[in-house]
Amino acid sequence: MTQEEKRLIGETVAQVNKSLKSDIRIMEVCGTHTHQIARFGIRKLLVPKIHLVSGPGCPVCVTESGYIDALITLLMHENVTIATFGDLLRVRGSSDSLEEQKSLGRKVITVYSPEDVLNLAKRNTDQNIVFAAVGFETTAPLYAALIQTSQKENIHNLFFLTSLKRMEPAIRFILGKSGVHIDGMICPGHVAAITGISPFLPVTIEYHIPAVICGFEAMDLIASISILCRQITGEIPIQFMNTYKRCVSDAGNSAALRLMSEVFRISDVNWRGIGIIRDSALILNHSYEEYDASKRFGLKIESVPAAFPDRCECSKVLIGEETPDMCVNFGSLCTPDHPIGPCMISSEGACAAYYGFGGGKI
Amino acid sequence: MCLAIPAKVIKMNESHAEVDIMGVRKTVNILLVDNLNVGDKIMIHAGFAISKIEDEYFCFLENMLREILDDCP
Ligand code: SF4
Repeated sequence: MTQEEKRLIGETVAQVNKSLKSDIRIMEVCGTHTHQIARFGIRKLLVPKIHLVSGPGCPVCVTESGYIDALITLLMHENVTIATFGDLLRVRGSSDSLEEQKSLGRKVITVYSPEDVLNLAKRNTDQNIVFAAVGFETTAPLYAALIQTSQKENIHNLFFLTSLKRMEPAIRFILGKSGVHIDGMICPGHVAAITGISPFLPVTIEYHIPAVICGFEAMDLIASISILCRQITGEIPIQFMNTYKRCVSDAGNSAALRLMSEVFRISDVNWRGIGIIRDSALILNHSYEEYDASKRFGLKIESVPAAFPDRCECSKVLIGEETPDMCVNFGSLCTPDHPIGPCMISSEGACAAYYGFGGGKI
Repeated sequence: MCLAIPAKVIKMNESHAEVDIMGVRKTVNILLVDNLNVGDKIMIHAGFAISKIEDEYFCFLENMLREILDDCP
């Protein structure tokens, strides 16, 4: 960061802190924002009147336990290997996690890119590779590209168990829920890089809440928080803004959207700790069903009630009703080394982000 | 999980590009970005280019912050 950037951040923060007379609550709905806010120590720069609360945008945290159970069931097949991003490994289903299964000798492989999975399938033709396809709209087009490439290259041993989620229905769910009060919203920059701004406009247009599409550097976050505060205090009129224009165009990424609409269709899905949100899932289109692991292996993802261990407040943390420090387990019984709930497992979970960068303090 | 990092396109074919990520060369998939050219700046997410970005990384933001500060009483 240059000296000039530091100076601008310092002055903007001082101005924001001075302008606030009463408490306000700003929600970030993206897990990567949650992580970055904690990493940059943004909360510590701001006066305590500004409450930054996290939403349901950590994909691993909201992946239902029935989905993990289904992956574990697949591992019982002799010739199935599960490929997954590392974050999902430690998340528990109704009893076990993939990590525990791996320690028992079951075939679970961590990948860094969907492309790794394609190579894995090509190299291991005697194995059925099932990719645990979890994520939001930022990651969904990557899976779509991979599925189309598999079809073009006639790969028949690669399957996808999808738990892909859409942001807009989740945001509507939270804003429509009584008991959750939000004065401003930091909208997810990389989801918007794909979708464009339209899924986020309703926050301001329908719910009359200031909202900003935001990037992921300290300056992005401070600029967005400043704009939100000025709108919340009435200094400037409420309007939807995009402070991440260098990456997010109004219309989004047309190639990615085209691909997603070819490969996926919209459905309902159960969010861990939240319940079923209508139209919030992306599932494989009929023309790509041959790649659907649930069809190929005759699986059904059971909507088991969220299995939150005793006194874990994740279901409230995930919708911004509570902050991690309000949970009695936070930092004592529950830490990243010994996580109790999913919000402490992924580095993007609110509890892990708060703990990891605050040494147990907020 | 939605983190993306900036990179510059060095070489490309139909589906992949060699990019420079802060001095490190990497091959990434470019199927998700239309009209890409050598020299373009892109954001990379999990091995895929997901968006082109403007050259002046922080210029817009800096200007915005200056405007905010100038505006304030
Ligand atoms: S601190 Fe642990 S137990 Fe408490 S809400 Fe977070 S994940 Fe659940």
